Formats: sequence, C-alpha cells, structure tokens
Amino acid sequence: MIGETMDNDRRIAEHPVLGTIEKGRLVSFSFDGRTVEGYEGEPIAEALKALGVMVHRYTAKKNRPRGIFCAIGRCTDCVMIVNGVPNTRTCITPVQEGIIVQTQYGVSAKDGGSHEKI
Amino acid sequence: MYRHSTASAQRTVAVMKRYDLIVVGAGPSGLSAATEAAESGMKVVVFDENSRPGGQLFKQIHKFFGSKEHHAKVRGFHIGEELLREAAAAGVEVELDAAVIGIYENKEITVRKAEHIEHLKGDTIIVATGASENMVPFEGWDLPGVIGAGAAQTMMNLHGVKPGQRILMLGSGNVGLVVSFQLLQAGCEVVALADAAPTIGGYGVHASKLARCGVPFYLSHTITKAEGSDRVTGAAISEVDDKFRPIKGTEEHFDVDTICIAVGLSPMSQLLKMSGCRMSDDPKRGGQVPDVDEYGETSVTGIFAAGDVSGIEEASSAMIEGRIAGARAALRMGFISAEEESARQKSFSADLAGLRRGMFAPGSKGRMPEKTEEGLDISVNLLTKGYLSDDEVTKYPGVVKKKGLHPVIECSQNIPCDPCQDACRFNCIKVGNDITLLPQVDMGSECTGCGMCVASCSGQAIFLVNEDYDDRSASVTLPYEFLPLPRTGDSGFARGRSGERLCTAEVIDVKTSPAYDKTNLLTIRVPKDMAMKARFYEPLPAREADA
Repeated sequence: MIGETMDNDRRIAEHPVLGTIEKGRLVSFSFDGRTVEGYEGEPIAEALKALGVMVHRYTAKKNRPRGIFCAIGRCTDCVMIVNGVPNTRTCITPVQEGIIVQTQYGVSAKDGGSHEKI
Repeated sequence: MYRHSTASAQRTVAVMKRYDLIVVGAGPSGLSAATEAAESGMKVVVFDENSRPGGQLFKQIHKFFGSKEHHAKVRGFHIGEELLREAAAAGVEVELDAAVIGIYENKEITVRKAEHIEHLKGDTIIVATGASENMVPFEGWDLPGVIGAGAAQTMMNLHGVKPGQRILMLGSGNVGLVVSFQLLQAGCEVVALADAAPTIGGYGVHASKLARCGVPFYLSHTITKAEGSDRVTGAAISEVDDKFRPIKGTEEHFDVDTICIAVGLSPMSQLLKMSGCRMSDDPKRGGQVPDVDEYGETSVTGIFAAGDVSGIEEASSAMIEGRIAGARAALRMGFISAEEESARQKSFSADLAGLRRGMFAPGSKGRMPEKTEEGLDISVNLLTKGYLSDDEVTKYPGVVKKKGLHPVIECSQNIPCDPCQDACRFNCIKVGNDITLLPQVDMGSECTGCGMCVASCSGQAIFLVNEDYDDRSASVTLPYEFLPLPRTGDSGFARGRSGERLCTAEVIDVKTSPAYDKTNLLTIRVPKDMAMKARFYEPLPAREADA
C-alpha cells in the first residue's frame, strides 16, 4: 500500500464544483524509512491520508492508535516525529522534498529514542 | 499580500507597536470587522493562527442562503475571496501564522509567531475567534477514521483528498447535512446519517438533497461503537429512548471506514474570559460566551466580540456582526461621527434582523413550529425522513400544476432566503419583502425554461416541469452537481424524493453556464405520471451502461 503512485481513488481527480484542485510539485519524502510521494506544500497528514496511512501515533499510556481528527491544528491527535521533532502537528505542517516522517510511540520513535534527522 | 511569520522574523521590538484596532481571527466576522474599521480610517491589523485567511469559508463550496444583497446564492469560498479583496482594498494588514495567546489590561496583547512572542497594544480589540467542534464520546471514538465534519471539509474541499470511501455521518444540523452532500460530491458514499434528536436539525431542503440521492436518515439514533483495532472498519448505532439511552435489541451495523462527527460547535471564547470580560454560560448561544451589548461590546469598554465566539450562528450573520463591531470601534475612537455610525448601524441591524427570522432563527432554537408563517402544516416526513411525501408537497405555494413548462418550488420551511424571486426576468416567482416567506409561482407568467431559478436556489429545491412534453411523457429539469456529468441521450433511472428508483429516464438536455455557477441543469424525460415524483437522475452503473 505504501509507496504506490499518487494515482489512486483516495484523491479527487476532478470535483464537480472545484474542478481540479491545484497542487504543488510531486516530491519524495521518507515515511518510517520508506520513500513515498506527496505534493509539496500540502499538509503531511493529507499526503499520508492519500497514501492510505491512518495511524500517526500510539498513545503513551494505553498504546492506542491515533490519526487525523480535526485536521486544522487544534486537537493534536495527528502528531508525529518530523525531521526528528516529536509532537509535530502533521495536519498543518507542509510536505517538503526529503522530509523524514516517523510514526510516534508515546513521544518517541519506535526504538524508544533515535529520531532520524536530516 | 499577507505577512507570514517565520523563525527569521524580527525578534526585538524597541517600541511597543500600537494599532487603532486589533482583530483576532481572519474568518468572515474578523475580516468584515477589520474592513469596516479600516474603511473608516482606522489602522487595523488582523492576527490569525492559521496559514491561510478566511476561517472556514474556503471549505464551504455550497451556495449560501440569505438575501441577494448579502451573498445569497454565492458559494462560500467565493464570499471568502470577496472578503479578502475588500480587506486588502481598505488597507487592512493580515498577519498569518500568528496566534494571539493573551489579552491583558489596557488592551495589550501577546502574539506567538513561529519561535517568538510579540507584545502589542490596541486601542480597541475585536475578538472573532469563531468556534470549535463538539465531540460525542462512544466506544472506539479515538480510532483513526473517526473525524470531525470540519476535518472532512478540509480534506476534500481544500486538499482534494477523500475523507474515506464509506462514511457514517453523526448529526443532522446544517453542518452534518451540508458536509454529507459535499462527501457525495467528492465521490464518497454516505451510508447513513444518524442523530439522537427525534427531528432533523438543519434545513429541510439540505436534507432533501441527501434523501433523493438515497442517503437514509436515522433519527432518534445514536452511535454505540466504532469498530476496528487500528482503524475504523465499522460502526454500530442504536435507537434511543426519550432520555437518549440506547434501546437494547435495536442495534444496527454498518461497514464503514469513516465516522464523521457533526454534533455542534462551541464558542472559542477563552481569550475574552482571560481579558476580564463578564461571561455567561448560555446553551442557546453554544456555551461560554461574553455578555455583549447590541454592538458586540463586552463588559470591558473597547473590547468587542463578533461572530460565532459570541453565539453560534451562520457565517452570513457573522459578517454583519463584524461590520457592527467595526463601526462601533470606529465611533469609540472618533473616526466617524455619531450620526454616521447610527446610520450604518441602522442598516446593519435591519440586515441582521432579516437573517435572524424564520423557524431556524437563533431565538426559536429547540422549538419547532407546527405551522409555517402562512399557516400551512410543517411536513413531519421532512423532519423525520428528510423528504416531502408526494401528497404533502402539493400543499406549498411554490408547487403548482400548470399547462406547459413551469417551475415547481418545493420550499416548505420559513428560512431567510430569496434569490429565486430575482432569478426570473418575467417575475414568475414571488417571495415578497419578508424573505422568510415561501415563494409563490405567478400562474400568469410565461416560463422560457432559462433555468436561472433552478440554479439560483441554494437549497436545490426548484425544478422545471412540463407535463405536456409529448403524448406520453413529461420533462423534469433538475439541478445536478455531480460528476461525471450525464450527456444528452443517456439513459438511467429517475429517483423520487425518498431516493427510490421510480422508472427509467432519458436525458434530453444538459445545460451548463457560468451564470449557473457549477449547478448543471439536467432535463430528463419520464412517463407523465412521474412528472411530480421524479426529482433526481441516477446514471446506469458503468457496467450496465457498457452492455
């Protein structure tokens, strides 16, 4: 599922009111060690959603999965580790070429500490 | 045009920056307030924590209700563009990625920009921070795939990403209804719309758009469970008793990947509370709200509240409230005379009073009348199933039988909206001066079939019917905002108001025009006895069409 091309049914190809939605250029970035694609400038959460990624993090105490809830930067459910910075709100942080996005476990990366940095 | 704050922005300010007016929030209300004040000569800055201005307006792709003087039949995002143009022309500064985090004594504020905080002073402040979405707790509510209705709009209408493939909507207020329709337009399937209330909370016309597309309504139902281990894979709903407790044995399951929550909004009034304004807990206005006078001025002189932060309403009212507060701030600071201000306020308050009328007005919340202002019965079917039954529909003044082509206006609730009466060049449609009255069709007028009335109706409740199309068939012209757009000669099914398939239908005309603003006009041919029943066109599934 991850890493497939952008041409999938999760993106709206043409909208009856909005027509084609303007996007930045297609760029590559890293998600949990794999190279994936998204459009420059769109929120990381939207790019991941279009790739079929639903789980952004697991909670510290109960290890519950969490994903997008409000999509406007208020609820902090969608936070991930971006370029080594944990608790980054992916719904308001734009995709850029080469960024490193990691699923967050509690407040750390999976191995318990090392946040990949660019 | 807009300043975005970045880490490299200037970090030290020797002299505290001062403005005649600081506006918090660049949504419909904040931008209107800023424009009104700047047009009066004030030096105005607007701070917004988001990286785009416009608040939620740019996610609103439906046509707005109201009067034509106030953006009726204009789509929300076009209104947003207009507000930005007006604010820029008036010389308003808009600072984005700039969150006001504190309001202190003497109207001093702190603004967080990227990695630093700035300290400024306003001689007046208008807080227009809007509202945040409410949540309802249930088993599995925290699973990925449970999202707010606003999130769905952000994904599909701003970023072109589908919120899900199969969706359960919770909440039948206007937000739940409008977002459900937008989900259909984005190519998603809405499997059901549930609400714990016994009647649909939003406009009947919005509900009818969904019902004829086949979306079932479950009133007096609540969600009991979001199913799935690491994402939503299903949902269970149950009927509730009169105390909103689930009734055992009524559970129903849906296979869905997304559960969308539209259970109301709460004012984001924390800044006002912090600034020392007297607050009240007012459920009718949505929660903790500041005590304000008719100009939106709080108990602290010179601090105003406008828009949803002082009571949840429509964006159209928020824009006028912004204007009112802006004009009052200009008077307070001596930029306009008392006479000038009073003249402006008179016109604003008349506009606001017009929008606050009808059965969905803020004052009538929770009290659904049994009769319309004309003394007609309010349709119970519309309130509980989302559509007018075939026998109910004929009671309303816009639904007439006439020889030849004529409009049929299925408008049965008193809501403040009147673009239809200006749509017809031949004055065939009359609402009158009271814009909440139901439209009437003038039996003497000639209908040319231009379709302007069909496209002008924000509720998509106007159809052109010709019962005498030929010996055996009638034609029905209906508004159509889906893709792919059918083509003349296509065959499919006509659907009734409840969404049931009635008969086969042939597309005999497809009209698009810039004047219709993306509402396409589809004319279908159906048997004569279906003229007053067929209200939607369903194309054949791709496979059948190929066969």
